[in-house]
Amino acid sequence: MSKRAPKGEYIETDTGNKVARKATLVGTQNIMLGGKTVIQPEVMIRGDLIRTIQASSQSASGAAPNNTAVSIGRYCFLSRGSCLRPPGRLYKGAFTYMPLRMGDHVFVGQGSVIQAAAIGNHVHIGAKVAIGEFAIIKDYVRILDGTVVPPNMVIPSFSIVAGQPARLIGEVPEGGHEAFELRSLYKTVGNNPHPAPS
Amino acid sequence: MSSKRLSILPPVSSSGPKPPVHFSSSITIADSALLTGTHQVTVLSESVIHPRARLDSSAGRLNLGRRCIVHERAHLGLVPTNGRFTEAAVTLGDYVAVEVGAVVEAGNTVVGEGSTVGVGARVGAGAVVGKHCTLTPHTEIAAGAVVPDFTIVFSNGMRRTDRRGVAVELKNKAVARQIDVLRRMIPSNPAKFV
Repeated sequence: MSKRAPKGEYIETDTGNKVARKATLVGTQNIMLGGKTVIQPEVMIRGDLIRTIQASSQSASGAAPNNTAVSIGRYCFLSRGSCLRPPGRLYKGAFTYMPLRMGDHVFVGQGSVIQAAAIGNHVHIGAKVAIGEFAIIKDYVRILDGTVVPPNMVIPSFSIVAGQPARLIGEVPEGGHEAFELRSLYKTVGNNPHPAPS
Repeated sequence: MSSKRLSILPPVSSSGPKPPVHFSSSITIADSALLTGTHQVTVLSESVIHPRARLDSSAGRLNLGRRCIVHERAHLGLVPTNGRFTEAAVTLGDYVAVEVGAVVEAGNTVVGEGSTVGVGARVGAGAVVGKHCTLTPHTEIAAGAVVPDFTIVFSNGMRRTDRRGVAVELKNKAVARQIDVLRRMIPSNPAKFV
């Protein structure tokens, strides 16, 4: 090793992703980051669990197989200790994993385990949340700490859910969607972070 | 995507002694699984151990049955902070799934055949979980507790009996299919632990 400046805690890519060196990303070639996404230390993403059965329309046209296991939008924030893994199930008699899609401005709290099929934009997931396989979470949803979202649950837009198992406990108030913006949070981490605006 | 972009998996800290292992030749164990302890670790045929799963035999033997799946960050054989056990084995029956981040404490703990320990759940020392039970995410089974066969534990300790009547053979077939797929996806390296 040459005498270079000490390495920062994060790797910052050209598209603005900040990936902690201590994050465990398995199967990186199957993980898509949209840009400006923060991945904190001890986060685990299982990109190796790829889909083994292609959709019938794709296999018929002979297109190149799409192996993306986890796709993440812009300005997402994965807190320390969280885990993303694609959901798996039996499909036409064979077992396959399905891709996990995540929109923009998704916050994932500490120690949460996400096995959803799809997560919309502007979703806030608290700490210690378990999201079951093939759950679908629409836009502007707030999931409080410690929630257990059962498998296959569909959470409509603008809802607040909590409990074990998760129940709808309220709606995001009008004008409350400003709080889902993660642009300022993005600036507070990295190798030369800006202080949080007071 | 060339071969230049290799996985940036940080190195696994290999602390503690390497336990004596007894692996069946047909198991799948990820390179980054963590095995520590001094007692024997036995894994029977066709079981799958995901990356970063932690098998800790420092308190006693670990016995995993056939076609068990231990997911990432699961911790088998955690030594309880207060208890002292002379016999402190952990036994998983056949077709047991231990999901992400679940903990099974050491102390003659038994998880019966076909049971699922959900995401982040915790099975206390000396607890006996029956056959075909489902522990939903984040449930805690107290030390020494007994969970009868076909029980579902949910919402922090509420229990009911599984009356869905899912045929055991069908369920086992589904697990076998899943293991077939996992075996192709997880690069296995049992030689590292022997």
